[in-house]
Amino acid sequence: MTSAPPLRAGVAVLARAGATAVLLSVVVFAAVEVLPGDAAAARTGGRADAARLARLREATGLDDPLWQRWLSWAAGLLRGDWGTSLLTDRPVADLVLPRLAATAVLTGAALLVAVPLVLALAWLVGTARPGRSRVGGAVLTALAAVPQAVVVAVLVLVLAGLLRWLPAVSLLPPGVPPLRRPEVLVLPALALALPSAAWGGALLAGVVADACAAPHVRDARVRGMPPWRVHRDHVAPFVLAPAVRVLAAVAAGAVSSAALVETVFGYRGLGELLVGAVAGRDAPVVAVTGLLGGLVVVVGAAVADLVALAVTR
Amino acid sequence: MRPGAGAVAGVVVVVAALSGGLVAPHDPAAVVGTPFSVPGGAFPLGTDGLGRDVLSRVLAGGARLVLLALAGGAAATAAGVVVGLLAGWVGGVTDRLLTAALDLLAALPLLLVALVLAVAVPGGAAVVVAAVAGGAPLTARVVRDAASRFRGSGWVEAARGRGESTGAVLVRELAPALGPLVAADAALRFVLGLQLACTVALLGFGPQPPSPDWALMLRENLPGAALNPAGVAAPAAALVLLACGVAWSALSRRGVAG
Repeated sequence: MTSAPPLRAGVAVLARAGATAVLLSVVVFAAVEVLPGDAAAARTGGRADAARLARLREATGLDDPLWQRWLSWAAGLLRGDWGTSLLTDRPVADLVLPRLAATAVLTGAALLVAVPLVLALAWLVGTARPGRSRVGGAVLTALAAVPQAVVVAVLVLVLAGLLRWLPAVSLLPPGVPPLRRPEVLVLPALALALPSAAWGGALLAGVVADACAAPHVRDARVRGMPPWRVHRDHVAPFVLAPAVRVLAAVAAGAVSSAALVETVFGYRGLGELLVGAVAGRDAPVVAVTGLLGGLVVVVGAAVADLVALAVTR
Repeated sequence: MRPGAGAVAGVVVVVAALSGGLVAPHDPAAVVGTPFSVPGGAFPLGTDGLGRDVLSRVLAGGARLVLLALAGGAAATAAGVVVGLLAGWVGGVTDRLLTAALDLLAALPLLLVALVLAVAVPGGAAVVVAAVAGGAPLTARVVRDAASRFRGSGWVEAARGRGESTGAVLVRELAPALGPLVAADAALRFVLGLQLACTVALLGFGPQPPSPDWALMLRENLPGAALNPAGVAAPAAALVLLACGVAWSALSRRGVAG
């Protein structure tokens, strides 16, 4: 990619992001459409007779061909018509938008922890002596392999259960913004940040080590340049582009994992809404929340790719 | 760590997780004691919120997760090797098209896809599909790069010069060269499958109570963690051992492959 002209590479990034977004929408919509037992049955709790179910299916458009429903749904989505929840009859936008802000606050808090941690770990492990660097890399890889469910459970067990420093659940009274009760954000933010920080740190440590081994870096050291200047002027510029990509992947991981973490902590964000809607087979809500979360990830990766292109040496 | 020791550790942990249920002292689903008993006496790890034996549930609770991760990891590796070989060995337009398609798949947010799929199909199937969609592109990239490198190498040219068929070159020349690389990669795909399986199970889209399952146990036993911490700590330790053992086996294998 670095060999292509910047403009062409930029267009390729955007085209790939667009294609990914379309693929994502197809996957999401197809998945909610083939589920066994449709929303008409779920909504009536299995008590309605066949005639009533048929009327309900027709009224909600559940009988049209699949592609037609996808097309009208996608077109409606672009017009700002996100449909109504099959379970509660409320507009999907009304359900999703407040959750979006809550999830943005939570993932923002997680990134406040994760980004400095990734960079610190990468430099710590990447610049250590070879033996230590290997051990550090192995430890980070092992930590990154631990399932997030375990991280969540151990954090709650130690910080909430045994030490009682923090609340084990992050339930907020309706109308209270999470920033008014910052203590409920700490555990879920840590649970989101720690696994992805270990993963990102392990990945970036290799890049830092490679950059430090470059001839011009050794050269600068031999010339007697102070270490901090070597890192600022000769190492950091080469780590910048990969770092942007890794940090975008870390952010993407936090957005995806929000479903797990929010559900365990009872934090009313987008992820918790998605999990509840999946369990309740509320197709419009699943589709919009799944797609929205996915689009954040896709757009974030595209922006990171563009920034990385711009700063690549 | 000695090369190979990691691989042995990984295999031992997997086998232990698969066969643990056979030596469980109690029926993992049966109520055998008072709820949240602390470890001791007949229950070395205490009991959970319903009075079931934590040790028996831990011993029996890994098999399904391991099988799912093995299935997802094996399917992702197989698909990745086939596609990667095709792209790397054939090259040209095929390579570019396959690489572009894999890039698209790799850009999908895995966990969200797995969750959304979990409504349409059983949780286990959603995990395997997502593990393949997310893992196969990574394997394919590794195999593709290696295959296209080896294609132009001297020993492959020599084999071709001897008049060996493409199949023979692939099996006799390429497979041994790719083997360690693919083995290390497969371990990482296993870890990915395990992580997905844990998340989907914990969110309630996998095995249903009272089935023992490490991920489900974490959630079930968390509310009583202050009364019997072993209910959470034991399945957590089992999962850490499994994930780290397998991940380390990938690291030590990679060391051998260079």
